[in-house]
Amino acid sequence: MQFARPLADLIAQLERLPGVGPKSAQRLAFHILRTPEDDVRRLAEALRHARESLRLCTECQNVSETATCPICADPTRHRREICVVGEPRDIASIERLNEFKGVYHVLHGLLNPLDGVGPDQIKVRELLVRLEGQVDEVILATNPTIEGDTTALYLAKLIKPVGVKVTRLAHGMPVGGELDYADNATLLSALEYRREM
Amino acid sequence: MEGVRVGEIRYHDFRNLAVVELNAGPGVNLIVGPNAQGKTNLLEGLHLLSTGRLLRGSREAQAVRHDQPRAAVEAALQPHGTTVRVNIEPGVRKRALINGLGLPRAADLIGRLPSVSFSSQDLAVVSGEPADRRHLLDTELSQVYPAYLNHFSVYKRALEQRNALLRRAQESHVEDEAFEVWEEQLAHHGAAMRVQRQEWVDGLADLATERHAALGDGEVLSVSYRAADQGELSQSLASNRGHDIHRGSTSVGPHRDDLDIQVAGAEARHFGSQGQQRTAVVAIKLAVLALAERAFGFPPMLLLDDIFSDLDDRRRSHLMDVAFEAGGQVFVTCTEAEQAGAKLLGSAKIFRVKCGRLEEK
Repeated sequence: MQFARPLADLIAQLERLPGVGPKSAQRLAFHILRTPEDDVRRLAEALRHARESLRLCTECQNVSETATCPICADPTRHRREICVVGEPRDIASIERLNEFKGVYHVLHGLLNPLDGVGPDQIKVRELLVRLEGQVDEVILATNPTIEGDTTALYLAKLIKPVGVKVTRLAHGMPVGGELDYADNATLLSALEYRREM
Repeated sequence: MEGVRVGEIRYHDFRNLAVVELNAGPGVNLIVGPNAQGKTNLLEGLHLLSTGRLLRGSREAQAVRHDQPRAAVEAALQPHGTTVRVNIEPGVRKRALINGLGLPRAADLIGRLPSVSFSSQDLAVVSGEPADRRHLLDTELSQVYPAYLNHFSVYKRALEQRNALLRRAQESHVEDEAFEVWEEQLAHHGAAMRVQRQEWVDGLADLATERHAALGDGEVLSVSYRAADQGELSQSLASNRGHDIHRGSTSVGPHRDDLDIQVAGAEARHFGSQGQQRTAVVAIKLAVLALAERAFGFPPMLLLDDIFSDLDDRRRSHLMDVAFEAGGQVFVTCTEAEQAGAKLLGSAKIFRVKCGRLEEK
């Protein structure tokens, strides 16, 4: 059946979002139609405001409201330690720990030729520029997937000749987990990278 | 080590099996029925619980009974009563559970219920393409060594990535470093795969020659691993890069290797008669069984699907004798119970299948 034009437009726009198929797009569109007008206005405003007011931090490439993000602007953070992550949401995970006192660098992706992503499509050059300053250690915290590991390998190759220490997050057994339910890949890597006691 | 076997098996909307319960015996289980009634499906369910995968070439959507949303196969493993279950739902990731708790990946089931399958598909091990022989290596090694499965899956993914990069390089410049990191992954995991394959084939070769001699054609079977390239894989990858860009795919590495199978000094694939090829397949599969038994410390579950139509009396009865003497749990499908021979019939638990229903005799 044919939807009224504005509804069809809305569905078409929603369908373009990642993870939203035609069915979900319709469901969301009808939900929006039933929502009070004020709420819809707030949603629209939030979308517009987020898109217009946010940019990438000139230092770490994290999404920020200001030219320099709050972490990079914080004088108590150690600027000689840079933790490299794939996506902005990865920063939130590490920040939750309240342990890491250094600064970050967001790549906005991982090397993935199948998806057309090479070094030029992610924020590699921006990281190398930062290394021209005083940096003691780069911690590679990309995901422990083949793409994450290969990206880390690539960055290590570029950074080591500069003379900066490069480390990679360890992988191993989940704390509090049981051996019987661990996946083989994790168990194998925990065995390979076991430590002396 | 005490052998693991299945007790009660439940199928739920798995292919043509709506609700089927099979109470398996500890020894030989004979599944009898006309063609296309669901015999292979019963065996595929066991293969699924053993490996976390359907049979080669099967699609998940087809594994669910017509018009049903999902399928499940569940079994109680003896001696400890552990339940293993696999849920299949098209569009959703296949899920494996142990005692009701989900495993991270279905492949993590591997090793809990070891099995060796034998069906007419296996004839391709001798007569088919190199890919058919690599498939044998990859599935058997993955079952015994989870580390192999790990190297294999990373290798496969890295290979796809390098191939994508090769195609990209046909159109625009790709810097050497971008290739190098994927090639390092391929070299690391590929070399590990080759070491494990070589070792496994060395063990297999002697056993296969022995088993072949026992089948008594008076000819000698030899099996060896044949690598597509020599020397350091990382160097071969780098030096073939230009050539590979031109052809758009990777020309060196374990994904190009093969098994060399010879009977009486000639390559069995090209020069063997049908009889020679079948004897070679039976000998190789019996060697696979012996290797698996050695690795696990007990005879793995043996799944023999409709082998009676492909093998003559002599090869069949030899296979059945060895299977029976191994003392493990065996599932055999056939169209007529008499095909199994008197020796087996005397001790087997017999099930009859008709239109996806089961009847225990």
